[in-house]
Amino acid sequence: MAVLREVLIFNLKCFRGVRSYFCPSPVFQCSSLSLNNASSNVRNLDFEQSDTKKISKAMKSYMERAKVHDNFIKDQLHQYNLGKRHLANMMGKDPEFFTQKDVDEAIRYLFPSGLFDPRARPMMKHPDEIYPKRKAAEFDMNGRPFHSLFYTSKPNYYNLMHDLAVKFKELDRHEDRMISRGIRDQKPSELFLFGSDWIPKEKIESVLLEILTDAQYSNLIKTLERFTQHPYAIKEKNFVMQFRHQLAAQTEIQQVPELMKDESNRPYTTFSARRKKSTATVKVIGQGTGLLSINGKDIHYFERKQHKEQVIFPLEFCNVLGKVDVVATCEGNGFSGKVGAIRLGIAMCLRSFVDAETTERMRLAGLLSFDPRKRERKKPGQAGARKKFTWKKR
Amino acid sequence: MSLSVLLRTLPTLNAINSQMSSLSLLSRQPYSMYKPFVKEPIYNIDKLDKFIESGEAKKCEFVPVKAARNDHNVSVFHDELTNKFINMVMEKGHKELARNLVEAGYMKIKQLQLAKYYKATTDIERAEIELNPITIFHKALDNCKPILQLTPIKRGGSTYQVPIPITENRARFLAMKWIILESREKDRKIHFPEKFALELIDAYNNTGKVVKRKQDLHKQCENNRAYAHYRWG
Repeated sequence: MAVLREVLIFNLKCFRGVRSYFCPSPVFQCSSLSLNNASSNVRNLDFEQSDTKKISKAMKSYMERAKVHDNFIKDQLHQYNLGKRHLANMMGKDPEFFTQKDVDEAIRYLFPSGLFDPRARPMMKHPDEIYPKRKAAEFDMNGRPFHSLFYTSKPNYYNLMHDLAVKFKELDRHEDRMISRGIRDQKPSELFLFGSDWIPKEKIESVLLEILTDAQYSNLIKTLERFTQHPYAIKEKNFVMQFRHQLAAQTEIQQVPELMKDESNRPYTTFSARRKKSTATVKVIGQGTGLLSINGKDIHYFERKQHKEQVIFPLEFCNVLGKVDVVATCEGNGFSGKVGAIRLGIAMCLRSFVDAETTERMRLAGLLSFDPRKRERKKPGQAGARKKFTWKKR
Repeated sequence: MSLSVLLRTLPTLNAINSQMSSLSLLSRQPYSMYKPFVKEPIYNIDKLDKFIESGEAKKCEFVPVKAARNDHNVSVFHDELTNKFINMVMEKGHKELARNLVEAGYMKIKQLQLAKYYKATTDIERAEIELNPITIFHKALDNCKPILQLTPIKRGGSTYQVPIPITENRARFLAMKWIILESREKDRKIHFPEKFALELIDAYNNTGKVVKRKQDLHKQCENNRAYAHYRWG
């Protein structure tokens, strides 16, 4: 069980300064992202037999560190496998077929935790998942770097930028060729970018095995943006798509619930929504006459015109005013919050009554979005959230 | 020298500014509860139809949308500009009161115009009379919008009032502010809605104090046209 939390406590202090030294052959060989080639490609260095006099100091210290690290990982792996067997025995299962999923379940069962953040709860993961991958040696026995961009300290990143520039030039040359053939005014096709977005910084970092600054990341994204605007960028589609991930469609995320039938065989749906500190439970019943009931009262539960309009907004938007009945209960602070929660609840319920096109319209109108805005907290040293005390010099 | 002037004079600073803004696009905006890429809602049905017809909506299929705000709705009486005006009339967050005042003003306009309408005898005369208070408000506001403004700029130790063109937003703000100020300047017996209605009808006909105020400002700008070149350099 030593692998449990103690594993996490051991940090990378002893390796931190030399992270970028560990590098396999250039990650971007043939200009393609190759994943998981981090420490597996460690150059086979014969530590024992080589002449110690010829080895440079950098190489020597690297080898020491690599040895320590390898031993450490080996130890951790051993402990992990041991822990897994123990857990399997404790749970009364076959240790041979005990998977990571079973491990997670066993940990959840044996070490119940009320901590809110999932990362703070006890866990037992494979060392590969816990310890970040490291670059292998970037230089040979004499301390001579393999990579021409070694002294930029971020060779993979700058190699990628270089590749981009080369591809850019290629595209330009291609465009020139096309113009000489008489094909002009080629429109850039951005269609292949539709529905995807640039991958986040963390992901690029994990692929490059280098820590990037915000400026470097934005530089990369800006260059890629410009690259995609080239008239013939479609030629390099595969290259560009490596740096993009698909977005989930907003309408697919929100799954429309099925209509239910009540005693009198009328279709209905329910939804509980929130806004500010208020909560509301809304029930929309089909085949109705436009009855509204809010906490037992009709629409005059709200005194202000604006709030009354808000209740009707989604009904009017979908043209179902007078065709459905609404029963809502709300509680929590002010009326603004209550009415916001009711509006969201009604709109969400109406999805089951209208077609997909109207649902998409409702989404674009902002009726199906949760309003995350909240009262801003008062700051110390200030009169309010933004207001400052009157300033006196003395 | 004020910062805006400095920015205008130094193109390089402007460039840096724009670069910084593009950089900040990547990181999250301070205080906003929404991520920077979240789209503003389009709640107006006509605008939404146009938006979908133009094919823009297809592109936004994957973009999350902000929630519609509390003062958005699709009522036939809803008007964005009136909403803006109500917010400017409002004091200390009494929005319901402000809204009642403005709507009472609209009611008064309707009454006045209807009185004129029934007084008119021929159809041609009647056709000329605008009965919709919201249309009257829009046209009156347009009539009150200035296109130039005086701004003090220091040159060689003395300050000059230099005429500069103003943005759409600023022009709208000034027009609304003037209408409100004129409507509040009244006898004790007259209330805000009545004075507001009268001012709007005056402005609709391109007469009245607010339009005069705009013309005065333009006249002043005309007088100071000799300093106009101080805007640059």
